[in-house]
Amino acid sequence: MRERADVWTGVSWIAFAILAVLLILPLGRLLWASILDGGGGFTLVHYQKFLAYPYYSRTIVHSFLVSSLVTLSALVVAVPVAFLLARVHLPGKAILTSLAILPLVSPPFIGAYSWILLFGRAGYVTTLFQSIGVSIPTVYGMHGIVLALSLNLYPFVLLMVTGALRTLDQSLEEAAQSLGSSPWRVFWTVTVPVTLPSILGGALLVFLTAFAEFGAPMIIGEGYQVLPTIVYSLFVNEMGGNPAMASTAATVLVACTTGILLVQYWAVGRRRYAMSQLRPIPPVRLGPVMQWLCAGYAYLLVGLSLIPAVVVAVTSFFESRGPVLYPNFSVGNYREVLFNVPRAIANSFVLSTFSTLLDVLLGTLIAYLVVRRRSASTAALDSCVMVPYAIPGTVIGVAFIVAFNKPPLVLTGTFLILLLAYFIRRLPYSVRAGSAILHQIDPAVEEASISLGVSPLKSFAKITARLMLPGIVSGGILTWVQTITEISATIFLYFGAWSTITVVIYRQVSSSNFGSAAAASTLLLVAVFIPVLLINWVVGERAVAAV
Amino acid sequence: MGANLQVEQLHKRYGDVAALDGVSLTIHGGEFFTLLGPSGCGKTTLLRCIAGFLRPDDGRILCDGERLDRFPAHKRDIGMVFQNYAIFPHLTVFENVAYGLRARRVPPADLRKRALEALQLVQMDALGDRRPDQLSGGQQQRVALARAMAIRPRFLLMDEPLSNLDAKLRVEMRTEIRRLQRELGITTIYVTHDQEEALAISERLAVMSGGRVEQVGFPWDVYQAPRSAFVAQFIGTSNALTGTLAPGDGEWSSVLIGGWTLRARRAGGLTGAVLAVFRPEALSLALDRRDVPDATIGEAEVVSREFLGAVLRYRLRLPGGALIHLDEHKPNAARLTPEGARVRFAVRAEDVMLFPLEEIS
Repeated sequence: MRERADVWTGVSWIAFAILAVLLILPLGRLLWASILDGGGGFTLVHYQKFLAYPYYSRTIVHSFLVSSLVTLSALVVAVPVAFLLARVHLPGKAILTSLAILPLVSPPFIGAYSWILLFGRAGYVTTLFQSIGVSIPTVYGMHGIVLALSLNLYPFVLLMVTGALRTLDQSLEEAAQSLGSSPWRVFWTVTVPVTLPSILGGALLVFLTAFAEFGAPMIIGEGYQVLPTIVYSLFVNEMGGNPAMASTAATVLVACTTGILLVQYWAVGRRRYAMSQLRPIPPVRLGPVMQWLCAGYAYLLVGLSLIPAVVVAVTSFFESRGPVLYPNFSVGNYREVLFNVPRAIANSFVLSTFSTLLDVLLGTLIAYLVVRRRSASTAALDSCVMVPYAIPGTVIGVAFIVAFNKPPLVLTGTFLILLLAYFIRRLPYSVRAGSAILHQIDPAVEEASISLGVSPLKSFAKITARLMLPGIVSGGILTWVQTITEISATIFLYFGAWSTITVVIYRQVSSSNFGSAAAASTLLLVAVFIPVLLINWVVGERAVAAV
Repeated sequence: MGANLQVEQLHKRYGDVAALDGVSLTIHGGEFFTLLGPSGCGKTTLLRCIAGFLRPDDGRILCDGERLDRFPAHKRDIGMVFQNYAIFPHLTVFENVAYGLRARRVPPADLRKRALEALQLVQMDALGDRRPDQLSGGQQQRVALARAMAIRPRFLLMDEPLSNLDAKLRVEMRTEIRRLQRELGITTIYVTHDQEEALAISERLAVMSGGRVEQVGFPWDVYQAPRSAFVAQFIGTSNALTGTLAPGDGEWSSVLIGGWTLRARRAGGLTGAVLAVFRPEALSLALDRRDVPDATIGEAEVVSREFLGAVLRYRLRLPGGALIHLDEHKPNAARLTPEGARVRFAVRAEDVMLFPLEEIS
């Protein structure tokens, strides 16, 4: 058998080419724009300026502060619930676990918006208290961002920790007990240390996501600027924008997220304790009082994180005039949204569907290359394809504008630039989803097909791809959900007719059209929740853990 | 009659490791041939080269004189049975077996007949509609076998097919595999690390180590006349003692081990330090009677005993400290030698094999 340049070699070249054009080129141009002075020479003056003026430099502090607080509160609320879900009998546990996933897929800017509906200047709760003569502080600023993001992101910790606890084998704790440890001691000396990498992993994921978040701080921050929002402000300010400073801020942002990711690899990388599990630890039955207390706590947290969805849905049926809402039932908001911006809704569905299909197609092929055709070049491909994971949407947005607004590739203002931005942002997730399922498929199954006389490419299609299908579909649905709720890159790249539903919501909230914002948000949440709940039913929560 | 297979000077390297270091073998048509060796010896690499999943760096593989290694895996017409069976989990039992026939565009009526025939051979024809997850390990094994045989391949390759079954089923299945293979007369290459299984099932076998073939032969030859210390120690249980060959040219060689002189087979060309290897069944407890001709008598202390059913195996410590095994057949429960007792034993000279010492590393 001669080693031929087969289809897979072609796939890997296409993958490298795509990454070069959609990743290396934009990021290179971004860096370039930040170190160029007016005359075309090299300068670090933008970086000096960024670090010297508190207006810019404090955003670094803000970003780290907000992310730390979000991570801390996510840990505090989610870790106990994770232990309860994994180890204690709770009534309605299945529903609880399904609902706990929803915050993760609802966009944080909708969360932020609904907290404004409740506790903003004209919020329901604020005005209620005003009517009895008590004035309560409003939700704008840092604590609002932290509130919205922690309730959005805690499921990361929840999923990772329950996952780790469920793969613990009973024998591990039994061994510790038989060696003379009390149950309490076993918990602290065995269970917690073994779970710690997952807790840490979840925490760093929350930190990274909070750090890159653009929508929530933009809506609820009100002048409390973090790195992603300063990038946007610098880009669109009244003076016509400052591309050099925006590029500088974006580069600083990427440097930070890359650093966080490296810490994550270093801290969590090799410390996973994979067990070949035989018997999972059965949940404990508590007395009725304790059981209801525990269940109450778990329901309280999940309920709290679903408040935004409920508030937005209820508000959407109120009569509205600008920021003033009247509690009479009306479908006026929906009429307004559907009549005024049908194009944006259609755009969202079309764009996310096409970019998801591209992601799934290329992601599956790359996953196959990386897992089954191991070589130096596929290892390099594996690392390259994970790069977008470290790049916040805001940065992709700026970088795409900088790179694609002049020849040879002019894409700004087109459908294509949004499609490609979505595609590259979500590619790592598709590759991950694909390789996760591939690792569970015995390579011999494909070889069996080949030995029975079916060519390698056909064997891949008939056997391996077919067996990957459940994982590909659930991964694809999650990609779709994440794409249709995308705002941070969209806000830079949309243009005129190519607006999306997230942009509509953002614009309506900014101009205090709370009614139609609520209707658009509700439509988006319904579009996102239904498929997620469906795959959760069909495939189980393992699929969602791949988000 | 099945096709014959020739492997000539096959080389395969992984970085610095030579997985195959010049392997040559001839496997006759219709033969049941086993590749036996410890893990990492190259046996699976060789099998995968024959199947076409690995490309050798150098050497040739010939099938009935034709260059097999020039064909891609899916055109080699080879049936393969994998260690984990590799049953297609999304297809029924029948569809699994029909898979290779469909690839060959066998017409529907014929396809059904041939698939059912293959299932009948392994007594699985009643379970054609089952899904693989409803089958036991032994049943999956049968389906894998039927699937490989349904295409009427030129060879059957089996990669440790029994290693995932429990001990009793393993023995049952190996008898079954051998029966089928004989019935169909298909050339079969079987890979295993289990020397007992290899001895039981093979017509001929190749013992491999470090990417090389140590010995090819019939099972009893390999067991009784191993050509190297490695083969002697890998196959069966062996006692191995280092000693010095005493000069002289009588009927037997004499090896000095500590203060003890052990009589052994004549060893041509050996001098100096040697390794004396003999099996536990070559020893017997010599109860003061010199009833074993040409035997060496030794003294030792019983360290422990293992009751293995048909055999009672003693571990004995020689005066020099070395430990050896001694098998007593049909042990008499009333006359067991207790642990700690000093015993005299006899070693038959014809059962003591000598090897150069440097062979054992």
